Amino acid sequence: MSNLLEMRGIVRCFGALRANDGVDLDVRPGQILGLLGENGSGKSTLMKVLFGMIAPDAGSIVFRGRPLVGHRPGDAMAAGIAMIHQHFMLIDAMTVVENVMLGWPEAGRVLRAAEMAARVREASRRFGLDLDPDARVAALPLGRRQRVEILKAILREAELLILDEPTSNLAPSEVADLLTILRRLRAEGKGIVFISHKLPEVMEVCDEVVVLRAGRVAGRARVGATSRAQLAEMMVGRDIMTPHKANPRPPGAVRLAARGLAAPGLAPLTFDLHGGEILGVAGVDGNGQLELAQTLAGLRRPRAGSLALDGRDITHAPVATRVRSGMAYMPADRSHTALVPSMSIAENLMLRDSDRPPYAHGALLMLRPGAAKARALMADFDIRATGPGAIVARLSGGNQQKIVVARELDRTPAVLVAHQAAWGLDPGATRFVLDRVTALRDAGAAVLYISSELEEVLAISDRIAVMAGGGFAGVVPRAEADLRQIGLWMAGRAA
Amino acid sequence: MSEPASSPPIAATRRGARPPRWLQLALAGLAGRILLAVLLSMLCAAALIALSGHDPLAAFAAMAVGAVGSAHQIGAALNRTTPYLLAGSGVAMCFRAGIINIGAEGQIAVGGIGAAATALAWPGGSPTLAVIAALLGGAVAGAAWAAAATAIHLGRRVHEVLATLLLNFVALLLVQQVLAGPLGQFGAGFLQSPLLPRSAWLTRLEGFDAHAGFLIAVVAAAGLSFALWRTRFGFALRVAGSSRPATAYAGFSLPRLTWGVMLLSGALAGLAGGIEVLGVHHRLIEGFSLGFGFKAVTVALLGALEPLAVAPASLFVGLLEAGSLSMQRQIGVPSALVSVIEGLTMFFVLVATARRP
Repeated sequence: MSNLLEMRGIVRCFGALRANDGVDLDVRPGQILGLLGENGSGKSTLMKVLFGMIAPDAGSIVFRGRPLVGHRPGDAMAAGIAMIHQHFMLIDAMTVVENVMLGWPEAGRVLRAAEMAARVREASRRFGLDLDPDARVAALPLGRRQRVEILKAILREAELLILDEPTSNLAPSEVADLLTILRRLRAEGKGIVFISHKLPEVMEVCDEVVVLRAGRVAGRARVGATSRAQLAEMMVGRDIMTPHKANPRPPGAVRLAARGLAAPGLAPLTFDLHGGEILGVAGVDGNGQLELAQTLAGLRRPRAGSLALDGRDITHAPVATRVRSGMAYMPADRSHTALVPSMSIAENLMLRDSDRPPYAHGALLMLRPGAAKARALMADFDIRATGPGAIVARLSGGNQQKIVVARELDRTPAVLVAHQAAWGLDPGATRFVLDRVTALRDAGAAVLYISSELEEVLAISDRIAVMAGGGFAGVVPRAEADLRQIGLWMAGRAA
Repeated sequence: MSEPASSPPIAATRRGARPPRWLQLALAGLAGRILLAVLLSMLCAAALIALSGHDPLAAFAAMAVGAVGSAHQIGAALNRTTPYLLAGSGVAMCFRAGIINIGAEGQIAVGGIGAAATALAWPGGSPTLAVIAALLGGAVAGAAWAAAATAIHLGRRVHEVLATLLLNFVALLLVQQVLAGPLGQFGAGFLQSPLLPRSAWLTRLEGFDAHAGFLIAVVAAAGLSFALWRTRFGFALRVAGSSRPATAYAGFSLPRLTWGVMLLSGALAGLAGGIEVLGVHHRLIEGFSLGFGFKAVTVALLGALEPLAVAPASLFVGLLEAGSLSMQRQIGVPSALVSVIEGLTMFFVLVATARRP
């Protein structure tokens, strides 16, 4: 049987990072293909290339026997490819039928809502979508909203549906319904790419699985012929970036103690962070990592529990107090939180320290000493720019992150919370960040290193915690870490 | 003729006497664009004046004479500039922090009440003290009006645009109310207060019709510019205006910043109202503040939210208004048309100075 989609040798680089490095992917009509991989493994890049959102550096795409070259999302949709994003592209204030007509040339210039509503009802019955064309999207639960997206794809006669993490926002019963709908679409001969981290769902609904790792295909398997454990192992891989350099000294005293610390999106957590220790937090993005980091840093109000830094209660302390008592934080969101891109390097270096020397004296800013300090930090942390007055937005991602590292580490903090600290950086900059964090630990600080890149966590941590569903699914010392067990924890199966 | 006179200055210029970068950028191209905008708006105005049956050239001549024809007219233009500069630079500070304060209109009006009430109640004595007390009264009243808007905004989460905008109308009516009651002049046949005691009048500059308020405004704008770029408060404001998540991350308290900058700009607007009352009218008059606060927003944007640049922007609007009024008096161009011409000119200049997104 001929393939619906053939992608061959897709290469796409971002700077020095090879996000896709010669990926082949085939989808047949009436097939559900699971696309597995960790964050940053290249799944999204591959799908963006397919959908025409970014152009590949090399490789070819053939869809329904016709080559797709230099296409844009509009061309991909016209050719019969539909992309259903994790965040739905719907107008909440409009009804289902209005959303279906939105941006669809075939709906005509003069909208015939009644006629379209009839088509919506017909398709809804045929595929078991159970959608009322006149319902307002805002009033629909998330599962139904997703069906509106599927309905749009069906009415536009898409032959290939790409679902990006389709179950991440759904309740369990909604997931079951979605899988039923997908099976029905398969029976009608549609091809489906099902992108997910969640192994149980993939095993349940997919016919075949392709696993990506570091931009390459790490494995392919028919679902009947493989086990969950094998898939987890393929996803995580055995090649750890660098041998782990454990702290030669045993961990010191407790520096950060959380007792039943809970916040919106964060289940009650109890843990100790010792001086001279890196606790790596692995897990699929969106499982409470952001909430944990923000609650520790003082950007999210805890609902219950307590937090103590070096024995001093900081449960409700404001951010400035935490910074002064030695809490450093490298947020995952660099462009809006960690940095002010429209400001200069010097201003970003003093962002969290603008209330004390050398940056300020009383209420006044000390521009000259501040610039001198900035120059010293730029040299120490290898921030490459024309000078401390350079605007941060114009710097590379690596140099931007080095500003954050310089600012947070220069205070010689007692505790560092680092969230996606090496995300999107090239290998050199990644190495730099990891080395600096390790050096901080060796100097006696406690580090919480949160990353969705498991290899990074394995490379740097002394202990590893896995987050799932807003809490720790398991915590193990690095030496006892079992990849299969970690993969299962990540997939949401508690210890 | 023995020394080549031109070489040393060039070397000196190269070595370090370069103007700062913002100045270079501001000068490069901007002047040309503003000139073009003024020319375009003059063309439109000429067409409108001709349509209304008047001679455009005579009208422009009257306008020029009215704006800068004599020391007295320049003084009058400076007086018109003063409220825009004070209120506009305060508004610019709010906008820098991402707080859209369009309540200057009401803050000016209440500032006028505060200044007039203080001046009327002042026991007399030293004129300097009376003026200072009355100006302070205006500033405190303006700040209090801004505080009301801030309390509603922060306490009840009403959008600051609504909170500040709606209080404007209350303030304008409040002026009428106090003039109909406690501050009114009995039997004047017009809503106004009694004439303020001479000791509370603002000093006039020798030889000009200008009052000392213009100097206060220039000093205030310079102070604000310093605060914006050289103090921790200004840094926090700029961070707040760039990114709210970064503001929280930096440990700045947004409510505290909002209070600070709102009280500051309210006090400046109130001061503007006080200066208008003490320097121009010497009494509180109904509608004395009409439109100042809204134009202050335009002026703040014309000045690219930089207090020092708000000064030329205000001067521009002040000259334009003084000239337009004279054009109306001399040539008889209808006053509605004068407003249209004023609006067109501001519109063109705003477009010309707007930065590309």
